[in-house]
Amino acid sequence: MANLKDIRRKIKSVKNTQKTTRAMKLVSTAKLRRAEQVAKRSREYALKINEVLSDIAYKINQFKIGGVQGRFFEKNDNPSKVDIIFITADKGLCGGFNVQTIKSVNALMKEYKEKNAKVRLRAVGRKGIEYYKFGGVDLLKAYEGISSSPSYEKAQKIIKEAIDDFAKGVTDKIIIVHNGYKNMITQEIKRVDLTPVEIATDENLKKVSTSMMEVEPEDDESILDELIRKYFEYNMYYALIDSLAAEHSARMQAMDAATNNAKERVRQLTIQYNKARQESITTELIEIISGMEAMK
Amino acid sequence: MDTIKLEIVTPHGEIFSKDVKSVTLPGKEGEFGVLPGHAALVSLLKTGIIDIEMPDGKHELVAINWGHVNVEESKVTILAEGAVAVKGESESEIAASLAEAKKLLESASDSDVAIAAATAKIESAAKGL
Repeated sequence: MANLKDIRRKIKSVKNTQKTTRAMKLVSTAKLRRAEQVAKRSREYALKINEVLSDIAYKINQFKIGGVQGRFFEKNDNPSKVDIIFITADKGLCGGFNVQTIKSVNALMKEYKEKNAKVRLRAVGRKGIEYYKFGGVDLLKAYEGISSSPSYEKAQKIIKEAIDDFAKGVTDKIIIVHNGYKNMITQEIKRVDLTPVEIATDENLKKVSTSMMEVEPEDDESILDELIRKYFEYNMYYALIDSLAAEHSARMQAMDAATNNAKERVRQLTIQYNKARQESITTELIEIISGMEAMK
Repeated sequence: MDTIKLEIVTPHGEIFSKDVKSVTLPGKEGEFGVLPGHAALVSLLKTGIIDIEMPDGKHELVAINWGHVNVEESKVTILAEGAVAVKGESESEIAASLAEAKKLLESASDSDVAIAAATAKIESAAKGL
């Protein structure tokens, strides 16, 4: 039986841990609310820009409009070089949040390796970077300190090289993997294949869109290019903020569970403490009584 | 088909989504109007005012800094960087949104002529609201 002092010390330490985890939970809850709002607002735009692009993709396919941007819309079933951009958190203590992303990145890598495609990794977030560094896997690019405070400019910076490489033909496919926010208690892995731009399959669209697409101003060919860049940047940005919201919700849950565990542990330790106390009192009593008996 | 669906979205959310009678857009190469059944078109938009004619004949205004528009026969989608709808129940609300719209226009464009033209336009149109 552990002595009383030890148990008391243990209880105190567990209680301290509980305080920390509870505080972290509260912080995450507050941050989650904000992150969730930002994510919600931009989801609209992200969906819309994807919709517009896929409409355009449909038209480009339908009317065979060629041009420099053709590569972005072409289907490529056997890519020989794939860029995977994945997002993890900069900090831990958020349950299986980072591990899940890493797992699905590994699965993707395996999938493409089996198809004899080369995979390049662009990592965002310290946890993912550390994991692959430890495993001896080369990362093409590593970005730290972005996951916790994403901005549009930062997203632009990350995706720019990937787009440039793709446009030049260095890579054949760009995929973004992140752990996204589903609701307060669930996260889900999201995988977005940025290229080729998904072609609209909506039957209604086919009926209404009979006319050729005109691009105006006509002399300025960069407009489609610009729109495509925007599409990439925005998807990247959206992935970042979605991931941040998910991170906070994951941390909130993990910390909630930790707080409850600590509570349970304190309860058990208190019982143990009381038992030990009683036992020592009983022993003392027995000693006194037997002492008195001996004196008789 | 006497109306066309108009959607205006910005990175901060959706500004407008309704069926409208017609819409006038500030294209990069000049203003152009879109009626239902317009041929498909993709265009750049510059700083200016989107003038929307509602099915009941009323006009609504939205100021944008710049963006893209994707026109289809029955749908117009505007992806703007920043947009402010000029509207309100009372005069003070309208005035507030007007001031906000002006601020957006001023921050977006460095050509005084463009700002002046756009502000003059919203001011005169806002009087009719």
